[in-house]
Amino acid sequence: MHIPDGFLSPETFIPTWALAVGCWSWAARGLRTRIDETTLPRLAMLTALAYALGLIMLPLPGGTSGHALGVALLALLFGIRLAFLSYSLVLLLQALLFAAGGITALGVNALAIGLAGSATAVAVHRLLRGAYEPLAVVVAAYASVLASAVLIGLALGLQAHIAYDAAGRPLYFPFSFHIVLPAIVVPHLFIGLGEAALTLVVWRYARARGWTSRADA
Amino acid sequence: MTAPLVELRALGFRWPQGGAVFTGLTFALAPGEKVALLGANGCGKSTLLKLINGLIEASEGEILWRGEPLSAARLQRADFARAFRRDNALLFQHAEAMLFNATVSEEIRWGLRQFGLPDGKARLAKVSHLLGLDALLDEPPFLLSGGEKQKVALACVLALEPQLLLLDEPTASLDLRTAGRLADHLLDTPGALLVSTHNLSLAADLANRALILDEHGRLRFDGPIEAALDDLALLEEVGLAHRHRHRHRGFAHVYVHTHSE
Amino acid sequence: MNPRVLLFAYLGALVAISLLHSPALLATLLLFAFIASGQDRLALLRASVRALAVFTLTVGLSWLLYSWLWQGAPDGRWLLLVILRVLLMVYLGLWFVRRVPLMALLERWPSATLLATLTLSQIAIYRRLLADFRLAFTSRRAAPPRLTDRARHAGAQGIVLLDKSLAAAADAAQALRSRGVFDLPAPNDAGAAR
Repeated sequence: MHIPDGFLSPETFIPTWALAVGCWSWAARGLRTRIDETTLPRLAMLTALAYALGLIMLPLPGGTSGHALGVALLALLFGIRLAFLSYSLVLLLQALLFAAGGITALGVNALAIGLAGSATAVAVHRLLRGAYEPLAVVVAAYASVLASAVLIGLALGLQAHIAYDAAGRPLYFPFSFHIVLPAIVVPHLFIGLGEAALTLVVWRYARARGWTSRADA
Repeated sequence: MTAPLVELRALGFRWPQGGAVFTGLTFALAPGEKVALLGANGCGKSTLLKLINGLIEASEGEILWRGEPLSAARLQRADFARAFRRDNALLFQHAEAMLFNATVSEEIRWGLRQFGLPDGKARLAKVSHLLGLDALLDEPPFLLSGGEKQKVALACVLALEPQLLLLDEPTASLDLRTAGRLADHLLDTPGALLVSTHNLSLAADLANRALILDEHGRLRFDGPIEAALDDLALLEEVGLAHRHRHRHRGFAHVYVHTHSE
Repeated sequence: MNPRVLLFAYLGALVAISLLHSPALLATLLLFAFIASGQDRLALLRASVRALAVFTLTVGLSWLLYSWLWQGAPDGRWLLLVILRVLLMVYLGLWFVRRVPLMALLERWPSATLLATLTLSQIAIYRRLLADFRLAFTSRRAAPPRLTDRARHAGAQGIVLLDKSLAAAADAAQALRSRGVFDLPAPNDAGAAR
């Protein structure tokens, strides 16, 4: 889902990078209040987990597959801050180590997927868990994927309106909202089902092991 | 002379971004033959088993299965793939990578259903009893210990009763009693066996032939297991024997020896 | 050259490139980068083309078709602009990664180095494990798997990864504590003051 380099205007990626830095500081400050010697190894292992979850192929109808995100699962088990930081580190590692690109777009990707995805999952879960918690987990994961997809679509669709040449031709991502939003959101309506199923299965295991009370805010 | 079940001809393999794992590997396994695959850590034993199981493709040379070349194209054919996978079963070194069903009994039955094998209940009961899994049949594999997971994975491949059983460190996490029962069972099975192990005493009990790879992936020995275990110089070279101070009631000396479990 | 200087140069280049809208200028810069990158240039170019292929070509060809059908003429200039921009950015990224090891960048920050080391070694373990999961699934089945089997298989991978992550976090913390990584330096120990 994440945006590669070259498709976002500086008018987009510079402010979103600044916002992302502020949010990373917020997340790190929140962890620092409870920092102990386990914090660093934990963050490392969760970053590795976030990376590896992205390698799992989710089965989709028709014999196709999509990559899992894992952000909702991380947020539900470990809280928004750790999930956001872990996913951001994954994006950074992918760019700096595996040259998978997305340095200029890192702010947008981290905010849309790492932060908004985590926050959506936790908020929806909190809203619905009183009714039936497994259903809350499924809806939370599904909503998380869709929220991220919508935000990514909005970031891309914005480019045609804010960055164009004198003749009105686009300079970055060329499609407006009415094209890019359906193009991104519709496939994620299906990918979200796979993500929700994976999240539920792993969450149930975590609950059986007594790990579901570890989440912070 | 019986036609070989599997034959490697000048087999070579290299990872995409690495050096050669092996080159020029040539040997054959006859139906029913029991062979121990020994060698230094990192010499490519697990990779070799995956090649013979048709999971990765050789960089050079070929593998013949029942006299026909084993290739990705042939494995795309449904009829061939089904028969091949039924008759050529691999126990992974990291056994938990094989497990994904909700309970132990479902895990074992899943493989049997895949190939439409008859007497599913009897096969399940047999391997479960052999490996001491009777009390764990309704447990989720994820909640088991490492040794228990290895037993479940073993049960999955043994239940198929394949023509060729490829075992990658089958007793690494097993208790001695289970390892002993496994060894007896494997001796009695009619199928061929290629077992990669550091356990030289298991190798001696199970196999009549040994293949020894050195750290460069070269085949340094192919012959009777007794001769292999007698060649301490070769075993030392491939890291299966060593020399260090050895004490006997206050008397210490140094000599090349193996540690058979 | 100092790795951090190279990092800032790379980041600055990315911002600068995103401000350029001339295909000719971008092509010239790409040519300079290609020449300057020495004997790695062909490998870098191949890897760059592979990296940009899916997203860029999908969006690019879609826009070409859209502009042709709805605006009367295909906007080939945009396609060229974006391909050159993205190719140059990816090329520089790959070149940077090849020239500057991550650990060299983090040298001055022991905590960041520790974090990177632990993360990368665990990622290597997980990549091998997931590769084994895929191979084992192929090894055990007779035919293309059903949706339910694929779903259970994906779930099993998630569970094993979570299990290992929590165990590894606890193990790593204990091992590092045992080796004195979390100990405060002695008051006059200048060497340990980093």
